[in-house]
Amino acid sequence: MEEALLRIREVSKHFGGVYAVNEVNLDIREGGIWGLVGPNGSGKTTLFNTILGLYKPDHGAIYFNGKCISNLAPHDIYGEGVVNAFQLPRLFNRMNVLDNMLVAARGHQGDKCLHSLFWRKSWQKQEEGLIEEALDILRLVDLEKWAFSLAGELSGGQRKLLEVGRGLMAKPRLLLLDEPAAGINPVLGKSMFQKLKDFSCNGITFFIVEHRLEILFEFANWVYVMDRGRMVAQGEPHDVVDAPAFYEAYLGEG
Amino acid sequence: MLLYGLDFLVFVGIFGIVALSLNLEFGFAGLANFGKVAFFLVGAYTYAVLSQIGVPFYLCLITAAVIAAAFGFVISLPALRLRADYLAISVLAFGEILRLLIKAEHGIAGGVWGITVSPAISLAGVSYRVDLLVNIGLVYFCLLICFIVAQLLANSPYGRVMRAIREDEVAAEALGKDRAKYKAQIFMIGSAMAGLAGGLYAQYLQFIDPYMFMPMITFTVWMMVILGGPANNWGALLGAGLVEFFDRGANLAKDYLVLPVDPSNLQYILFGALIILVLFYRPQGLLKESPIKTKALELVRYGRGVVNNKPGK
Ligand SMILES: Nc1ncnc2c1ncn2[C@@H]1O[C@H](COP(=O)(O)OP(=O)(O)OP(=O)(O)O)[C@@H](O)[C@H]1O
Ligand SMILES: [Mg+2]
Repeated sequence: MEEALLRIREVSKHFGGVYAVNEVNLDIREGGIWGLVGPNGSGKTTLFNTILGLYKPDHGAIYFNGKCISNLAPHDIYGEGVVNAFQLPRLFNRMNVLDNMLVAARGHQGDKCLHSLFWRKSWQKQEEGLIEEALDILRLVDLEKWAFSLAGELSGGQRKLLEVGRGLMAKPRLLLLDEPAAGINPVLGKSMFQKLKDFSCNGITFFIVEHRLEILFEFANWVYVMDRGRMVAQGEPHDVVDAPAFYEAYLGEG
Repeated sequence: MLLYGLDFLVFVGIFGIVALSLNLEFGFAGLANFGKVAFFLVGAYTYAVLSQIGVPFYLCLITAAVIAAAFGFVISLPALRLRADYLAISVLAFGEILRLLIKAEHGIAGGVWGITVSPAISLAGVSYRVDLLVNIGLVYFCLLICFIVAQLLANSPYGRVMRAIREDEVAAEALGKDRAKYKAQIFMIGSAMAGLAGGLYAQYLQFIDPYMFMPMITFTVWMMVILGGPANNWGALLGAGLVEFFDRGANLAKDYLVLPVDPSNLQYILFGALIILVLFYRPQGLLKESPIKTKALELVRYGRGVVNNKPGK
């Protein structure tokens, strides 16, 4: 069998007495859109934060591309190619939209102190290319007109869009999206998924938490279901909707 | 009067450098360095000790900057892992510890008695006025270098990362920026500038003692940055000029004023009032944050006109 891109083994994370993530196992193979659903508070965001290295798992291990990443710092995990778009956008508010995008750019020479001072030529050219890329992505998420507005002045939905755009700008191998369509108008939400699908053909694998199941299930290749910290079901979307565990997660109180 | 004016210019230049360095740390990167005076002190004493053993002035200045940067690095190791408010307190304490150490130890550069410092450039047989002019030249040359460095850093991808760390360090970290490394670098650059200014200060006054490095210096520099406008290098310079001006003004005025309070505290009262006014009516400072400018950005923004450059509302 093909080596999984992301492999999560027996990962647990608890806060005090709350097991937010409880012995979760999961495999994501390269390519396509992978979904993660579950009721509020079922541990989806916590699982994402654990993958990102923002939380250290209390137990278990996470492998990316065959390498154990659960002990790496978040910036090294970005280096491996895992990037996240936060559920509550964490934008750089007093910077404009374009600068927000450019921060995410991978391997910008000018990010280094000495380069920024003494080798300005070396990154000026690179920056031109990066700006083109950033503007392309901004066009995709309908934010091109706002490129030079402060991120702090965007509306709630636009903030979400920028958060997703910034994730794409980072050119990850695996992009985690935490409710990308929340607060986005339904038409744009759907067309955004359509565009993500196109990206997934270009080497980005998506792992998406989404409460708007109808959109997610239309585009996802495989869906995981979490309930109270546990992974309770998985399968192709049309199989998952028929799984008893899926209903129990959303409806059952038992 | 002319001499007084020239002396004022030297002070503005020296504190302009310190204000630039705090602006880099706090204005751009959000690091609340409440121990600025510590690095100023390190620079001043490094200069004093070296010049006493006959090291030429430029080497003294460079070493002052390097040693201050080294102190900045050492302090940054534990401090930058702390939350912002703990960082502020620990650096503040560091400055006081250094000062008290020198005060208590007569072995260190004269201890409480202070130490005389030879001027950087002393031309034989010229008037005090010419000496002052030479000093202004030296100080403003250093200021220019610091300003250029600060501007280059601010208007580069590095400056973008600094601001990102200020805005949301967790997000910056998740986007691949090693925040501990960046903070340590910025702390070192800022401390080097403060150390350089300390060296200039020592050689200009030709005498230093521990009482000249009270925490009040730190707060004066903070006032410069807050008044002038954080994250704007011109603002830091403007703030340095204004605060120094108020300081001098209050010093002169108090001889002529009849006040119900001890007039020697007039500056502090004025400064306090000034800070409150600024924070109430213009919290962003007199000059607002300057956006990042790089050649490529300018090209997109003004060169092709494909995008609307007005803030979208
Ligand atoms: N930092 C934290 N400290 C304490 N408890 C936390 C923390 N983060 C999450 N939790 C708890 O962990 C559980 C899972 O939270 P999480 O945010 O992962 O849920 P979620 O599935 O993302 O929910 P939603 O769909 O509402 O976003 C919740 O019970 C929450 O209260
Ligand atoms: Mg969540």
